[in-house]
Amino acid sequence: MIRKGLPLTDLAALICDVYKKNGIDVVLSGGACVSIYTKNKYESFDLDFVLLSHIGRKKIGLVLETLGFRKDGRHYRHPNTPYIVEFLFPPLSVGEEPVREIHEIRRGKTTLRLLSPTDCVKDRLAAFYDWNDNPSLAQAIMVCKHTAVDLREVRRWSLNEGMKDKHELFREALSKEALK
Amino acid sequence: MLEPLFESESKEKALLYLYTHGESYSREIARAFGLYGNTVQYQLLKLESGGVLYSKLKGRVRLFGFNPRYPFKKELEALLKKALSFIPEEELDRLYRPRLRPRRTGKPLP
Repeated sequence: MIRKGLPLTDLAALICDVYKKNGIDVVLSGGACVSIYTKNKYESFDLDFVLLSHIGRKKIGLVLETLGFRKDGRHYRHPNTPYIVEFLFPPLSVGEEPVREIHEIRRGKTTLRLLSPTDCVKDRLAAFYDWNDNPSLAQAIMVCKHTAVDLREVRRWSLNEGMKDKHELFREALSKEALK
Repeated sequence: MLEPLFESESKEKALLYLYTHGESYSREIARAFGLYGNTVQYQLLKLESGGVLYSKLKGRVRLFGFNPRYPFKKELEALLKKALSFIPEEELDRLYRPRLRPRRTGKPLP
């Protein structure tokens, strides 16, 4: 079912779909969304799915095992793919706010549910805001360059997070990048 | 105090300790309260897995702290702050008021 070289989006959609069929809603978040929105300009091998409701770890594992994944600590690995799958507990949030809109990408008969480009940028900026993580800032900028992002919403959210100064740094970096 | 909510004395103590100390590790928390290290470690890992705490390696020690990305961090901290206000002064001094300023190498502790 999972062949070697299966692209990230197809794999993530397949996983999303198999959980959906088992009555479990999951949403892809984190670096994998950056990979998808930047068409692999940034490459992530972590598939972090957020559960939309509380499910026991055992059930999560059983579903993934039907696709041939094996548990490795808190993660799941598959012999035919370098991607590592992890499940995070709800709620699905960016900073202090819940995620309201979930983006969907169709891949054949499967559908991938993931953070929208705007929430993906917020998610990366949250890491920059909280941990001073510059690679996360660079990823946020990359997403803005490759896909449509609601920058007004990003600003509103940033101010709500109390990150006015750091949002300015993001805007400056984004403007510099636009001039390149 | 918050045990009915957290369903574990060690979890409550670990959270209060992290709230007042910022970052710590399981053995330090266990030593402060006379708990088993494994018990505290189990609770810390569970809280990390739930997104409440983060952890990072510093040398060979795994340090835990409140995850700034946990959406209920402010509310949890408000709850812990209130819980601390019910703790006797002597216990606060002994367990929850850490000395934060540095102390020169070799200078004896009072």
